[in-house]
Amino acid sequence: MKKLIDLKSFSLGLWKENPVFYLMLGLCPLLAVSASLKDALGMGAAFIFVLTGANITVSIIRRWVPAHIRIPVFIIVIATFVTIVDYSMAAFLPPLHRSLGVYLPLMVVNCIILGRAEAFASKNNIVNSALDGLGMGLGFTLAILAIAVLRELPGQGTVFGIRVLGKSYTPFLIMIMPPGAFLVIGFLIALKNSMGRRKNKC
Amino acid sequence: MSKKEIITGIIVLLIISMTSGCLLSWVYGATKPRIDEQKKIEAARINREIFPEGAKFSDTITENGMTYVEVYSADGGLAGRVFDVTSAGYGGPVAVKIGIDGELRIKGVRILSHTETPGLGSKISDIGFLDQFKDKFGNTLCLKKDSAEGTVDAITGATISSRAVADGIKKLQEKLSRAEK
Amino acid sequence: MLNEANLGLIFLSAFLVNNILLIRFLGLCSFIGISTNLKSSVGMGAAVVFVTVMACSISWAVYRYLLLPFRLEYLRTAAFILTIASFVQFEEIIIRKKVPAMYKAFGIYLPLITTNCAILASAFLGIDYKLSFIQNLVFALGISAGYCLIIVLFASIRERIDSAPIPVNFRGVPIAFILTGLMSLALMGFKGLFKL
Repeated sequence: MKKLIDLKSFSLGLWKENPVFYLMLGLCPLLAVSASLKDALGMGAAFIFVLTGANITVSIIRRWVPAHIRIPVFIIVIATFVTIVDYSMAAFLPPLHRSLGVYLPLMVVNCIILGRAEAFASKNNIVNSALDGLGMGLGFTLAILAIAVLRELPGQGTVFGIRVLGKSYTPFLIMIMPPGAFLVIGFLIALKNSMGRRKNKC
Repeated sequence: MSKKEIITGIIVLLIISMTSGCLLSWVYGATKPRIDEQKKIEAARINREIFPEGAKFSDTITENGMTYVEVYSADGGLAGRVFDVTSAGYGGPVAVKIGIDGELRIKGVRILSHTETPGLGSKISDIGFLDQFKDKFGNTLCLKKDSAEGTVDAITGATISSRAVADGIKKLQEKLSRAEK
Repeated sequence: MLNEANLGLIFLSAFLVNNILLIRFLGLCSFIGISTNLKSSVGMGAAVVFVTVMACSISWAVYRYLLLPFRLEYLRTAAFILTIASFVQFEEIIIRKKVPAMYKAFGIYLPLITTNCAILASAFLGIDYKLSFIQNLVFALGISAGYCLIIVLFASIRERIDSAPIPVNFRGVPIAFILTGLMSLALMGFKGLFKL
């Protein structure tokens, strides 16, 4: 049995079991909205909210949900949080909502969120589930920001829309187009492999 | 699976779905007015950018297949109209807002949405490119490379996207001048 | 706009120009996971075509005749994912009972499909583009055919890659992504193929 409050559930998601680089999960939004840092940050924030919210809720209701219907229940819980984010963002941050587009509602089938609900929140107490959600969410956000920096900086010469490379810099446009996303993540995973941990599964 | 298990399953699912439905309808009710308002503010901001001297803007009017708002000046007279036009770009439709005054002069152009190539075609949203269309008529609205009379510089590496915007503006102006005659 | 284009253009746009895997980045988890083997890629591709077309038609009808009349658009996300999930379950049972040969061919991929974002995305996009029923059907067919084409092509490449000398750290997933990037680059050439 785990401790009542286990800080490890928070820190694991950040690097050691980073949902993206370690588990190879939730790739779609990671590649699709990483062309600019602003979009990536928005996606990361939405992701942390949904993951933490879903984890807490699943942890609260875990005792009353019979095992055979747990997956539909988890899906409803996640869909609820995703819709909340979707509408709040449309109301308060319309430009961000427009640029995230269909990838925002698609969080509902993101394997990280359903995976954490099933693998962690349905077996742990509320505090640890919340910490796990925060940690995994932050891990995802860090990953998407890392990819976004590597795409926006060479691709447009900017960071968060602010020009850092001089005017004479010719942008390497391929980086902000779809192929750039695949190349960056390929090289990042190779980098992580070279740092010693070779564990890939989907 | 026993009967009891099925019934508890149905009850739990029902409770969860109802809670979720109620919560979402509350969220929807709370955010809907703001979403609509934001859309209006955004539209009004673009209209004001195109027509800085406009004092009052009408609601959206659809007529003869054209969508526009009427712009009134401070003394209440009709100063011009702002049209919504869709043009075929390189990567898909380009939605353009075009302001035209009473003498069919282009007052200003803004891009609402597009799916052009990032970094190349996406530069059609740059104010520097769009301001080239101001106060122009007929063939001068063409790209320099398309017509001898053309005065518009295309964006480097994005001729098709630039042409899409220019064509959209020119077609609208031609349609309006035909309608006046 | 897409809903004013003819059916051929809708199909080509979904099939190649905005390819679901390489341009829209959807359905990648199953793509990277399954494309290691040509045979299972063909099975998965066929299963995706079948489920996407059926699920999109059903969710289109759910949206048009259930959500819209009652002004419940905000339940779209929840309704679609549940529709797809229950459809997949239902279908699995039917196929296993009635067409065992088909079940043998791609039955094991059916449960995986529920969380394949390509299918949910097709359902969302069809609604976002305001397509009619027939247009939506063709659109779904185009999207899933695009998925099928790319996963089969890619699996054939990956089978060859296994015997190629690749730096240790790039073996497996990294080289798969880099190859996907190159394929995506090739597909970018279709952008601007026709005007919508």
